[in-house]
Amino acid sequence: MSARYLARQSAQAIFTILMIVLLNFLLFRMMPGSPDRVNPRNPNVTVEQRDAARARWGLDKPLIPDQLVAFVGSTLQGDLGYSIKFQGQPVTEVIGDRFMPTILLIGLAELIAIILGLALGAYTGWRRGGLADRIGNGLSLILYSMPYFVIGMPLIIIFAAGLGWFPTSGMLTAGATYPGPVEFLTDLLSHLALPLATISLGLIGGYSILMRSSITETRAEDYIATARAKGLTDGRILRSHAFPNALLPAVTLIAINLGYVVGGAITAEIVFNWPGLGTLTVDALDSRDYPVLQGIFLLLGVSVVLANFVADIVYGYLDPRVRQ
Amino acid sequence: MSAVPATPVDVRGARWRLRVRNARQFARRYAARRDGVVGAAILVFFALLALAPQLFVGALQTVTTATGGPLEPPSGTHILGTDEIGRDILNLTVHGARVSMVIGLMATLITILIGAVIGIVAGFLGGRSDQVLMRLTDFFLVLPTFVLAIVLAPIILDIVGTDAELFGIRATLLVIIVVIGLTSWASTARIIRSQTLSVKERMFVDRARVIGGSRAHIMRRHILPNVVNLIVANTVLTFAGAIFTETTLSFIGLGDPFAPSWGQLLNAAQQSGAPGLGAWWYIAPPAVCVVVVILAFTLVGNALDDVLNPKSATR
Repeated sequence: MSARYLARQSAQAIFTILMIVLLNFLLFRMMPGSPDRVNPRNPNVTVEQRDAARARWGLDKPLIPDQLVAFVGSTLQGDLGYSIKFQGQPVTEVIGDRFMPTILLIGLAELIAIILGLALGAYTGWRRGGLADRIGNGLSLILYSMPYFVIGMPLIIIFAAGLGWFPTSGMLTAGATYPGPVEFLTDLLSHLALPLATISLGLIGGYSILMRSSITETRAEDYIATARAKGLTDGRILRSHAFPNALLPAVTLIAINLGYVVGGAITAEIVFNWPGLGTLTVDALDSRDYPVLQGIFLLLGVSVVLANFVADIVYGYLDPRVRQ
Repeated sequence: MSAVPATPVDVRGARWRLRVRNARQFARRYAARRDGVVGAAILVFFALLALAPQLFVGALQTVTTATGGPLEPPSGTHILGTDEIGRDILNLTVHGARVSMVIGLMATLITILIGAVIGIVAGFLGGRSDQVLMRLTDFFLVLPTFVLAIVLAPIILDIVGTDAELFGIRATLLVIIVVIGLTSWASTARIIRSQTLSVKERMFVDRARVIGGSRAHIMRRHILPNVVNLIVANTVLTFAGAIFTETTLSFIGLGDPFAPSWGQLLNAAQQSGAPGLGAWWYIAPPAVCVVVVILAFTLVGNALDDVLNPKSATR
């Protein structure tokens, strides 16, 4: 990997992150509720008090560069302001509390979806046109057309409300005390099962479709014909010749996807009332808690940029042709 | 007079015959794609519902005109049951088709317009403008558009107010349309640009330049017709994405309760606790419609892409 390729990709990532911070800054200025707009409506607020408020929040200084520099500075120091809904709590703390549940849910779901999706895609692509392909690909297309909540709500109706196998919402039973780690884990897993199934199913379609088209292209390569001519079994050719090469575009998609899923799984969290970033986003949206919304936007934006960066690096490492 | 040829060349007629032949050829190739035909049939059905929902199920029911009791399961009078305030689900779902399709259509038009203009201009002009426009595109491509939409929608709503109206479409819906349009044009721009790059190297573009055609003229009369196939296929796929995003945004509470789309209905179902109560009849109709319509758009889009796009892999 050349240093120039690395440098170019890093520069691009940093540029994009700065643009996101800038966008965050501009959005904040557009929002309703600034002291400049609210205070003049109140007859009891004197001009002196208004000016004092403006000075206190730094609004008397010019937008660019003073306010922008102050904003970028505090963002870089990890100061994202204070939540409106959770009064006085810093945004970083509010978001931090919700981080682990989402990572647990999404991480496991990605793992399941990657394994099942790639396997399904590889198999249907290898048997393109056959019965297994038509069923598998049809299923993938249907899953790909379903938003998470459209998958999750029927699962609740069938497995929670109907059969009563799993609880309908939350991450742990409210108010429960656990005599040991086994009971805790059982409770967690029974709550985890349905949301996990929902997100996994939602992701499988996309991975499977990509892998299918990738393996179809690989199948036409000369080295596959060579492997066949050498007398290797069909399964062996798929496993050790076609699959590893077809994996290349899939790896990129997975890396990019890892940045998006946190934002994309919001609706799955809502359906199951999972105490993660998704429910936090909607709570903040309902109570117009802009600082928290902005913090989430920044977090997700940066994670998408980093995921893209990793994807480029991995791709450059795996495929020497793109490094130029 | 003698300079005029005895049998004048009928340019118009020839051009018209060529168009008819191309259209026939296209129709034949498209008809061979069974998935595309099925998808198109589904879309025609939903387009009819969207055009005149009141012909099929009467006017949209409201709290005051609701005809049943709360959360009644399907019966003879209410084939698909009722919602938590007694409105007929069939009525709501058919009217939802109109809202979902209209939002999807308008968001798609905005997306395609921005994407095509930026793609053609960047690809044709090249150089500095290309670099700047593509940086911008990359930025929008990387942005988590869905989250940006969530942040943007309430801000715009707070600024314009929920009661504003434009062309009879309420502000809440307009905001969704604009937000989807502004955040999803980037991939379209990339596709159109790469096609423009190859079209502009062709001989007829040089010829148009030599006889003094302005850049705007060349882009309009020579580049655009040659990327229009790509735009059409992309439009249909964008439509699927727009409906997907609209459904999701409405589901998390950015929809308009007074003009319920399918996503808005699912949001109401979720809010009233329908999944936990096992009220499947409240959820199934809008959910099935969403999936079937998105699937149909995807099938038609893929079929069009294969038939129209010369570079498509499967041909």
